Amino acid sequence: MHIPDGILPITVSAAGYATSGAVTWYSLRKISQKENAQASIPKASLLTAAFFVASWIHIPVPPTSVHLVLNGLLGAVLGYYAFPAILIGLFFQAVMFQHGGLTTLGVNATMMGVPAILAFFIFRLRRVVGKESRWGTGVFGFLAGAVGLGIAVLISWGLLITTIPAHLDVEAERASIYALTMAHVPLIVLEGIFTALVALFLQRVKPELLED
Amino acid sequence: MLDGLDRYAHLGSPLHHWDPRCKLVGLITLMFAFSFVQDPQLLPAMLAVTSGLYAVSRMPLAFLLTRLRTPGIFVVVVAILLPFLSGTTVITRIGPLSLRQEGTVAMALIVAKFISILTISLVLFGTAPFLTTIKTLRALGLPPILGDMTLLAYRYLYEIGNDLKTMERAMGLRGFRARRPSSRVLDILASLAGTMLVRSYEQSERIYKAMTLRGYGHSPRPRDQFQARPRDWVGLACVCLVAAGFVAMEIWLRGSGG
Repeated sequence: MHIPDGILPITVSAAGYATSGAVTWYSLRKISQKENAQASIPKASLLTAAFFVASWIHIPVPPTSVHLVLNGLLGAVLGYYAFPAILIGLFFQAVMFQHGGLTTLGVNATMMGVPAILAFFIFRLRRVVGKESRWGTGVFGFLAGAVGLGIAVLISWGLLITTIPAHLDVEAERASIYALTMAHVPLIVLEGIFTALVALFLQRVKPELLED
Repeated sequence: MLDGLDRYAHLGSPLHHWDPRCKLVGLITLMFAFSFVQDPQLLPAMLAVTSGLYAVSRMPLAFLLTRLRTPGIFVVVVAILLPFLSGTTVITRIGPLSLRQEGTVAMALIVAKFISILTISLVLFGTAPFLTTIKTLRALGLPPILGDMTLLAYRYLYEIGNDLKTMERAMGLRGFRARRPSSRVLDILASLAGTMLVRSYEQSERIYKAMTLRGYGHSPRPRDQFQARPRDWVGLACVCLVAAGFVAMEIWLRGSGG
């Protein structure tokens, strides 16, 4: 899911930085409009670290195991802090573990962060059925997780296939983006279920974490 | 800490002594110049500059190789597929597969750029303690909220990571084995992830109180002390010249190649 250095043309990397710069600016503006923005910085920082660590949890999918991206859950819990959190998480990934890269940091942040913000808006819709409703939290949690990962997958394969210097025709490109995204459907469902389960857990144990 | 990234941050090479701000700006410019390269003729020069920089940094080669291993897998997959799938000019055939020229060139470009950019980022982050890097970013104008979040997340990352290990071990000792993604297994793993979030949330409330007691948000922020000497600027100018050289050569080659 992380696009490494050296693959994308510089125009795409630059566009990624421009987009993530704009979204970061928007998020920071929204954050500073809140009263007592300072108090939420430690909370958002530690949750950033906790999300980073939680993505190390492996889910058994025989014959192997997968780890989750959790960008939908991150959006649901962190709200406008989601984008800065993802930017920081990806910076750590790139610098410490060489997953992703510095020139592609903007692209990767956009790819994961914009769907996270979308997931935040989706999860907020549960107000319609009432915040206390376990059904509402479950269903909108599932949607937030599945849409968060689904759109990220679509963006990443779309970018990789259309920009890799391959002389493929448009039909073949479209077919392969479709096929590769379809191959991720089980993971998208798994991500949705997991997000719903964590949201339900938080509602039971620490409901203020789901307040926006 | 940090998975050994700053294990060699205290060697005494010229790159270690270079002003961190000049180093960050210079090396990032060089990385972007490398990612601009599309002409295979520039690859030897690119690899030469990269190996030169790594040699000057005095970090051992084994360190670079271990760092390249994990992300290399993704690039290797692309690199193996491209020569066979992409392009029209067939160089040679291996059984039913035909090796195509365009794909091979694209593969060489991707692999060489990947290795060069990654090596330079290792030179950038391996030659200074990670905290210095974050302070450098802050000195270069990183928004305060992002700076504070990065520092705090970094400070607690490994602590929370150790918490996860402890909890997983405790679950294992109580007989939990995750073999299939059954509803029970998913429920338990979701509680594990949720517990991590709740714990760090509660810890953050205590941290915020402690930070407020120490003047967070009230006293002026300490300024980061960086002092660039003339030779730091010369280093920056040299690296930027090399980067500009690559960009100019690339534009010239594209122009002359039609």
